[in-house]
Order: sequence, then C-alpha cells, then structure tokens
Amino acid sequence: MKYLFTLFLLLFISANTFAADSLATVPVKISGIVKGEENKPVNGANLVIEGTIDGATTDEKGMYEFETEKTGKQKLLVTAVDYSSYSTEIDIQQGQNIVLDIKLTKNVTTTEQILVTASSFTSGENSKVTLTPLEIVRIPGANADLYRALTTFPGSNQVDEGSRITVRGGDPDEVITILDQATLYNPFIFDDSYNTSSFSTVNPWSLKGINFTSGGFSAKYGNALSAVLDLKSYDMPTTTGMFAVIGVGVGGLSGVYNNKGKFGGTFSLTQSYLKPFFELNGQTGDYSKIPETQGAGGTLAYKFGTTGNMKLYFNYTNDAIGIRNTSPSYDGYFNSNSDNYFANYKISFAPGTTSLLSAGASVSLFNRKLNYGILDTRSKDYYAKGRVDFTQPVSNSTDLNAGVEYEYLENQTKGTVPQNSYNLRLNAPSLKIDTSSNSGRIGGYIETQMRISENFFIIPGIRSDYHTLSKKISVDPRLSVGYQLAKYNVVRGAIGLYHQYATPQNYLSANNNDLVAEDAMHYILGYEYNKEGDIVFRVEGYYKDYRNLTAFDPNDFYLKSIGSGYAKGVDVFLKYKYQNKFTGWLSYAYADSKRKPYDSAQETSSDYDISHNMSLTASYNLTDAINVGFTYRISTGKPYTPVTSATYDPVQDVYVPVYALKNSDRFPTYTRLDMSFQYLTSLFNKFCVVFVAFNNVLNTKNLYQYSYNFDYSNKIEINSLNKRIVYFGVGLQL
Amino acid sequence: MKKTILLVLLLVSFGLNTALKADDDFTKAMVKAKQSLKTAVDKYDEKEMIKARGQFERILQLKKNTWLVNYYLALCDYNISTTGMEKKDNDKIKKYTQSGLDLLEKSILERDNFGDAYVLKMSLEYNRFQYEMDKMQTIIADVTAAEESAKKYDPTNPRFYLVKGIATYFTPAAFGGGIDKAQPLIEKSIELYGLIKNSDETLPDWGLDAAYGYMALCMIDAGKLPEAKSYMDKGLAISPDSKMLTGWVKKQYDEKAK
Repeated sequence: MKYLFTLFLLLFISANTFAADSLATVPVKISGIVKGEENKPVNGANLVIEGTIDGATTDEKGMYEFETEKTGKQKLLVTAVDYSSYSTEIDIQQGQNIVLDIKLTKNVTTTEQILVTASSFTSGENSKVTLTPLEIVRIPGANADLYRALTTFPGSNQVDEGSRITVRGGDPDEVITILDQATLYNPFIFDDSYNTSSFSTVNPWSLKGINFTSGGFSAKYGNALSAVLDLKSYDMPTTTGMFAVIGVGVGGLSGVYNNKGKFGGTFSLTQSYLKPFFELNGQTGDYSKIPETQGAGGTLAYKFGTTGNMKLYFNYTNDAIGIRNTSPSYDGYFNSNSDNYFANYKISFAPGTTSLLSAGASVSLFNRKLNYGILDTRSKDYYAKGRVDFTQPVSNSTDLNAGVEYEYLENQTKGTVPQNSYNLRLNAPSLKIDTSSNSGRIGGYIETQMRISENFFIIPGIRSDYHTLSKKISVDPRLSVGYQLAKYNVVRGAIGLYHQYATPQNYLSANNNDLVAEDAMHYILGYEYNKEGDIVFRVEGYYKDYRNLTAFDPNDFYLKSIGSGYAKGVDVFLKYKYQNKFTGWLSYAYADSKRKPYDSAQETSSDYDISHNMSLTASYNLTDAINVGFTYRISTGKPYTPVTSATYDPVQDVYVPVYALKNSDRFPTYTRLDMSFQYLTSLFNKFCVVFVAFNNVLNTKNLYQYSYNFDYSNKIEINSLNKRIVYFGVGLQL
Repeated sequence: MKKTILLVLLLVSFGLNTALKADDDFTKAMVKAKQSLKTAVDKYDEKEMIKARGQFERILQLKKNTWLVNYYLALCDYNISTTGMEKKDNDKIKKYTQSGLDLLEKSILERDNFGDAYVLKMSLEYNRFQYEMDKMQTIIADVTAAEESAKKYDPTNPRFYLVKGIATYFTPAAFGGGIDKAQPLIEKSIELYGLIKNSDETLPDWGLDAAYGYMALCMIDAGKLPEAKSYMDKGLAISPDSKMLTGWVKKQYDEKAK
C-alpha cells in the first residue's frame, strides 16, 4: 500500500510539473516606449524578464507590450543593436498592469568618434577613420607611400617631393614616427640625397592602424615638437598566402602565414633596379651609380593565453646612389650608400579583465657613407628603446593610461669634412673628424580619458623626461577636449607643452652640454563634421609658440638654446565619399611660421614656411574593377636664402658667397598633377591588380634649388628630376 | 532502506521532470522562433525579421545552448542586413553585419566546431564588400579563413556549397565568378541536402528552397526553361510564400519565356 501511495505521489508530482503552465494566474501586461538618442524611438529593442522568455520587441514607434505571469520583484533586461544594455527592477503585482518608458544610450564604441583628438587623421580598421588603407595606397602620386599620402592632409608638406614631411611650419626633425611603441629614426631610403626624392620603408598594408597627429598630441608621446605618426602593425596574420608585385624597375614578394591563430609570420622582400625605368622615361640625371635599393623584413607573432600576444618585427633596407652635382666650387658625383637595420620585440597581455599591458624593446642601426668632393664621411647611428604602457579603465567613463620609456642614442662619425662649406674641392682645406656622442632619455607619462557625458570628453595628461647630456628635466602638461554639438558635429581643442632634445651630435658643438630641450606650446581649436567617414569637413586653427630653439650664438659660435619663433595657421579638410564609387578630398592650409636664431636677430621665415598649400585628390571606380584617380597640388614656393654677392679668396682660389637675410626669398609656386589607373582582375584564378601611374602629367618644371656659377654672378635653376614619368606594374596573389 | 530508495526516486523524478520541462521549453521556443524567422525571410519582411530576432534574444534567458541561439541571432542579423541591400542602405548593412559577426564570435568561442557558424560567417564577411570594398584584402582573408573552418568541421554541409554558390553567382567572371561556375556548387548543395537526416529540430535546416531558386536562375540563364520551372516548383513546395521564388526568380523566368 505504501508503495502504491509513493508511486501515486511520483506520478502526481510529475503531472503537476507539466501541468503548472495550465494552472495560469491572470497575466500582467507590461508596456511602454523605448527611446534612444534625441528621444527618438528605438526599433527592434528587445525586452525580457530575466530568466524567462517573457518579453517583446519594439516596433518602429519604439512601443512594446507583453504579458507575464511572473510576479514579485523581477529584473527587466533591454538590449538593442548599437545601444548599451539596460536593466531595471520592476515589481509585478497581480492585476496591476505596468507602463514603463525606457531610455537607451548609444554604446561606447559608437561614441568613440568624439574621442578622436584635435589635429588627428586616422586610418585602419576603425570605421571612423579619415582615410582607409586602400584610399591611402591609391592616392595618385603617392606611389603607395604612407608619408606621401599624409601630405594630402592639411598642414603637412613634402620635403623635396619625397617622403620626409614637415608639419605646420616646423622642421622635418620635429615629426617622429612610432611603430608598435618603437621610434623609427630613419624610415626612409635616399633620405637627404641630392635631387633625389626619399621613399618610406614602411609598408602601408602591414598596418592595422595609423594615427597621424599634426599637433596637440597625447602625453604618451615624448621628444617630439610638432607631430607624431603612430603606426600599429597587425598582431597576427589572419590567413596564409603570398603576393608578388612586379613593376618597371621594382619587384617585391610578400607572404603571410597563420598556424591555427596561435602562431603567425610575415615576410617581405623588395629589390629595385631602375635602369628599365630610366630607359622608359628618359634618364634625366647623370648617375655614376643608378639608384638601387634592397629590402627584407617580416614579423613573427605568437598568441598565448586568451589575451597575450608576442611579436617580433624586423626590417632591413639598403640604398645606394651616385648622382652628379655641379656646385660653384666642385663638379662631381654625390655618392651615398646606407644600410638600415631595425628590430622591435613587443609583448602585450591583459593582467586583469579590463586592463592592458604592453612592453617593447627595439634597436636600430643606421650606417651611411657620404662622399662629395672633399666631404667623405662614414657615420653610424645606434638607437635602443624600452617602453612599457599600461591601460586600466577606472570606471565606465574613465580610462587611465600610464607608461615609462628609456631611449638611448649614439652617433659615431669618421672622415673628412670641408673647413668651409663654400669650398668642396678635393684639395680644399678640411678637417679630419672621429667623433662619438651618446645620450639617454628616460620619460614617463600619465593621462586619463574621461567621458564626462555622452557628448563631452576631456583628456588631461602630464609627462616628464630626464635627459642625460643636458641633465635637465622637462615637464609637459597637456589637455585635449572634445564636445559633440550634435550628431556628426564635434568641436575639439587642445593645449599643451612639448619638448624635444637636441641630437647627441648637436651637443658636440655646445659648451659643456649647455643645451636645454627645445619647446613649443600648442594651442588648437577646431570643428569637424564627420558623417561616418563619407562626408568630412574639418577646420582647425593653431598657434605654436617655440622657445629654446637650438641655434649658433654669433658671439662664440657655440650651439645654444637661444632661438625662438612661432607658427600659426588654419587647416581645412573636406572629404566626400559616394558609396564605393567616388572618394575625393580637398586640403588647404594657411601657415605663417617665423624664427629668430637669437634675441637681437631679425625674425625671418622658417625653412618650411609654406604660406598656402592646397591639394585635391579624387578617386573614381569606373566599374567594380577599374579605378582612376588624380591628385593636384599647388603651394607657395618654399623660402630660400639668396646669395647677393661674392668675394674672392686668393688663398683658396675660391669665391666666398655673401648671403642675404635668411629665407628672404622664395621659390616659384609649386604645382604638380599626378594620375593613376588600377584594374582589378584575376589571373590563373588568383586575385590580380594591374596599376599604371602618371606622375607630373603636365611635366611642370619645379625648382629643386638654386645653384651658382663659380663666382656667384649667375644664378642657375636646378629643377627637380621628378619630371613626367609613367610607371606600371602587376600585383598577383600567389 | 526502502524509504531512502523511494525518496531518491522521488527526487530523481522531480529533477528529471524539471529538466525535461526546461528542454521542452527551449525546443518549443526555438522551433517557434525558427518558424517566425523562416516566415519573415520568405516574405522578406524586415519587421518580422526583427521580431524573430527578439524571440531568439529572449530564448537566451533560458541559458541553454547559447552558442546555437547566438548563431540564430547572427542569422537574423544577416537576413536583416540583406534588406539594406535592396535600399542601398549601407548604414543598415554595416550595423547588422557587424552585430552578426560579433554574435558569431560569441557562438564560436563557446563551440568552435559548429560548421554552420563558419558558413554564416562567410556570408557576413561577403556582406562587408557592400560597405568597405576598400578592405578587400582583409575581407578575402577572413572569408578564406571561415571557408577553411567550415569545410574542416562539416565537409558535407549543403549550406556551405549554397553560400559559396551564391557568392560565385554574383561575382563577376573577371574575378573568378559567374553563373557557369556557380551552378555545380549549387547542384552539389542540393545533393547534400538530400543526404541530411536531421533529428534535432533546433539545428539549422534553412536553404534548400533558396538552392532550388538559384538552380532555377542558372537554368533560366542557360535557356533551359522546363528545368527552371521544375526547380521553381520544388522550391515553392518547400516555401510557397518565398518572395525570392515568387518574385525575383519568377520575374526572370517570365522575361526569358517571352
């Protein structure tokens, strides 16, 4: 009997469990409206009572309504694509319907665009980038060179039509390049070679993020006076494959390898041999050594744990050139040969659930041989850097960033240098030099990114550096703010102090290392309209106040921190993108940059005081496969110092030039039109791209420099060798 | 002793019943949501798709097979994103494609050997061509990686061949696509659908009607109208309300038949 009772009980319980649903109480109705930005209804928001499937989805009016039999205190969860999740406790009482309106806020990733600081231009995977990597490599005339591409942004100018850039009236050395936390000191080939444009050694396809800031940059960047180009390479290749490029005079092979997402590697090899290129376009220079380059590089990456990543990046380049240069005192070949080695090891991982720690160590060696007339030098520049950066969110709206770095620089130079710059003959008076100098710099920073509200951010930061040669400490407070006026409309500003120490070589010409860091105070205010990167309009005004600039004291000819100056101007940028058909942007910059080498000297234009600079770039997809584009540039000629007369030196049998006021004259207006054509297709069932570039289509004669005859009585125009050229090639996935 | 055994039996029975009920709730809810999604997709009705998405999102609360629920949420996002293509609404395509990819990442993180997740990832990655053609190299790499995983974990998945076939159908011949190259892939897909013996009704079973639809399009292109009609009919037998079959395919058929 007992067993029968138990069996009955079992069946009863089982039946009851299933029947529970049918023993329904009177359901309670819950309804309301879900709203988002600007109180607009959110369509498709989902509401559910936690632990149940009782809920509803909002309609186009943001309205919802559902019934539940749950009672008591319950948690209502609300989610919607693009919005932060929301939850609230509701008290459900039998017979009492609930009306509840809810306000959702956009999630953090969608408000990130206002966190873009003033004067920043970005590229990479982020959807809010100014330009995408493809837009960068497609820029006509840029030759797929990242730095040349940057010169289509307002405020930056090319040096001698090459990759080295100047920003907002500053010197080229005031711009630093950071790659995965390491500083790239010589990311160029043919840098500073006579009438030869430099090229960058950075492959834009290897980069997942590019952030170019032409002023007002973060406290994490030290030892830079004007601008920072911060590059991040891919942590891990996503696939395995190879790509080959063959062009007129240039060939390259690159590959990526991924092993189950844990281990990966990349490599790239490049070789140039420009003879066919010169034959196609007509050799315009007189070469003893036709320009030649080799390059090899790659990465090795390893993922560990759930967040850890290790990466080794290495790169080698060599360039050699011998080009004829006729100067007043010497007619011969300018010979240059350089090797550049660079390696960077980086490790990053998340020590906590939300924090990120990155540490890196990098080394580089730049060897260069230079020879022109009596000038014959061999120099070696060593560089090493160690760096640790840490990021920790301290609340939903505040991130804390901090880091330290140590940097070592050493220069060794041996050889013969002319005693007087105006006499370069082989028998000219000269000096034998054998110098070595080094410096160290240790720096640290701390900054917070605070989103005060959905529309307002503020980034206060401070950094400090100690320099071993000057034995001086610099302290740089910096502040960036941004306020979103309305959707797509943001006002940004920045103010901050920036220091940059002189090179170790400069200290050789100083008295008792008596050189403090050069400094510049940046003031920036701008407005931007950015509609998802498709329409961008930006206008920005800036003022830079330079102090302690390194200059020779005319009294004792020591280098001292006695120069001063300013740069002020307005940058305007307008970009329009229409679907995948058309992209075009217009950049205009007005700049006024003046320098004074010492207090009593007259203020004159800085070396790169380009008053007006405009570029227009357009790219159009005729079909899905064919792209055409052009870039037109026009700018005020750069300043130069004319020679007014010359005196004869009978001892050296050479004329000594007498110069006018520094930078008191200008080159003629610079203009250039470049065009490009790309055809995407398949070859042997593999992706293939055919490209043709027409540089300087109008064959405009742009001035490289003025030279003079032997007694300076005749000014001779030396035009740029960048005449009209055509270049073509094929890229093929292997 | 007997009392103890009975008590244990009682508890086991209670626990079993509760678990069975939870399973039953989950299966019922999933089947219902799947049907809602199918109806919405057949009608190509964005509002209904969003409602179906909400159903799946609420099922997440049951905390059962969340990898599968997230897969369906991503499938909803994919379908919603395609409604943006008709209107050339890149913002919508981007929003739902990105959301779909994020959800798939969650699904794959929880269960990395579910072949259908990678098939859907392929479709979502293809979507990116609509709004970020400039990242072509990255997209191709991501599609290739998804393809490799899809083949590895489920080499006989008919939806893999269907998705690949559809992508090939729309890819210009110059880039290795074209209708003639798409046809064998779709044929293979139909063949594999015939071999499926799916006992779990919560698992994905979509696509056969679309496969018939695309085969019909291939036949129309080849001028084989009777064969095209036959494929259309087979598709309509599965999904009588399919807007793809009754609208787009039928229109192509009628134009060719003129």
